[in-house]
Amino acid sequence: MTNSVIAEILVLRKRASTWILLATWTALSLFFSYVLPYVEARSITELLPEGLAGTLVRGFPFFGGVFALMLGVLAAGSDYSWDTVKTLFTQGPGRLRVLSAKLMALASILVLFVVSVAVTSAVASYVVAQVENASLDWPSAWLLIRTLGAGWFVLLVWGALGVMLAVLSRGTSLAIGIGILYALVIEGLLSALASQLDAFENVSEFFLRTNSYSLANALGASTETIADSGPGAFAGPYVSSGQALLVLAAYVVCFVLAAAVALRRRDVS
Amino acid sequence: MALQSEITTRPVVEPDRPAEDLVIETRDLTKRYGDLVAVDRLTLRVRRGEVYGFLGPNGAGKTTTLRMLLGLVRPSSGRASVLGDAPGSSNGLARTGAMIESAALYPFLSGRDNLRVLARHAGAPEDRIEPALAEVDLSDRAGDRFSSYSQGMKQRLGVAAALLKDPELLILDEPTNGLDPAGMAEMRSFIRSLGRGRRTVLLSSHLMTEVEQICDRVGVIRNGKLVGEGTVDELRGRAGLRVRAEPLESAERVVAALDFVESASTTDGALRITTDPAFAPSINRALVRAGVDVIELTSERASLEEVFLELTGNGRDQS
Repeated sequence: MTNSVIAEILVLRKRASTWILLATWTALSLFFSYVLPYVEARSITELLPEGLAGTLVRGFPFFGGVFALMLGVLAAGSDYSWDTVKTLFTQGPGRLRVLSAKLMALASILVLFVVSVAVTSAVASYVVAQVENASLDWPSAWLLIRTLGAGWFVLLVWGALGVMLAVLSRGTSLAIGIGILYALVIEGLLSALASQLDAFENVSEFFLRTNSYSLANALGASTETIADSGPGAFAGPYVSSGQALLVLAAYVVCFVLAAAVALRRRDVS
Repeated sequence: MALQSEITTRPVVEPDRPAEDLVIETRDLTKRYGDLVAVDRLTLRVRRGEVYGFLGPNGAGKTTTLRMLLGLVRPSSGRASVLGDAPGSSNGLARTGAMIESAALYPFLSGRDNLRVLARHAGAPEDRIEPALAEVDLSDRAGDRFSSYSQGMKQRLGVAAALLKDPELLILDEPTNGLDPAGMAEMRSFIRSLGRGRRTVLLSSHLMTEVEQICDRVGVIRNGKLVGEGTVDELRGRAGLRVRAEPLESAERVVAALDFVESASTTDGALRITTDPAFAPSINRALVRAGVDVIELTSERASLEEVFLELTGNGRDQS
């Protein structure tokens, strides 16, 4: 298994689109989390080192999620586009081992996505503190570790969704289209309806964005800022961090199981 | 992952008890796509150490059969055994190298990195990569991206990938596709060398010369059914003689009376004689002695192409 994971990491590592996604996600995260709020002169506290955890984690649930979704789709779906799926499946490791290797490689690369944004955010908050002559009160190491862990976990859920969509659609285009449609339109519209209709409120408690933002909120992201964060804006309802973790874990299991069943049963023709 | 374990509602594909020298054995192997029967009760036997040519027109079911043997496609019914295991089993695939249709590798990776990825997945030692590249004469371009390779180089890298596991069985589907004449000749010679010794090669093709030059035995498939099987010589049938003479009726009478002639018949203004071509001088002498003018006497034998066209209905598949 380790050999297969190393092989899949090599594939992701050597692929230009991985680095393009990483660079774009880091740049956009920096712009929307620090540059734009600073220019608009919003609450400066969130931009200082003391607000690093909250500012950092609120970028993962939607914005980072879409990037992770695309990476997941590319990691699994491109093998159908290039027909390398037949080459991989005739090497002998077994279809499920190939899928597991792809998921583990994806999870490893997502660590890089989290670290990249964390380092950039830390540098940005340091610069803001220097410019504003504010004190350098960094969050505790424990809070930062939990923040990075939660961010990685949220990205993993979206990445697994991408893998599942890629396997089900046997390609990349439809999978990315459906994934973004789901993230932007379906969850967005139903979340908006949830604030008006009680019936939707219960349903929305099981949405990816509800549980992801609930996790972010538990780690310091303010509800006001989340409600004012563009296309991924979320106004609640929030659930407990424990429930959020459980629901997100259930999503990962469901996405992986669906991908595994489809991959195992289908012909490669 | 054994194919057997995947099948719950369809007829189970079980490995047959392989005869001692059989590397591939199928019995009534069938694949249906809705109403279309792509492979129809195919019974195939490939012996250890031989280069077996799987010949058929486009759409005859060759690739579907090979995909079933590799576990990529599940049969609708029938039985199959590859190296004594169910098709697609990890044990069988570990000893099988394959290239189906064309070399499908990562375009952004170099040739060497592509082999590295596959070697890792296959559990093959990385020290096999350089010899495999050298074997297909790609060492100099191994650091270049796969997408920058010519079609011939891609095919050669595909063969190198199939050789990484030092497989007992090599399944190659149209390996000379897209190659120029020199590349085709080189690939043929290469495949012939691969087939020496204990390694078995199953080669799918629709090119007669390729199969004629490389293969020990040939199976011809049409509309998913095996319509002919044997060595090239067996398929081409016995050689005979063709005589143009005057008067033809006298010639037929004289020749039919000879002991060593099995049969003689007149078609298209010529006498066709079934006999060993070595008797040509004796036949000529007998005709001249009988006062028959011999205009032309030639040895003739059906080419593999003629046999193929006859077996496959002019090479056009009906599916």
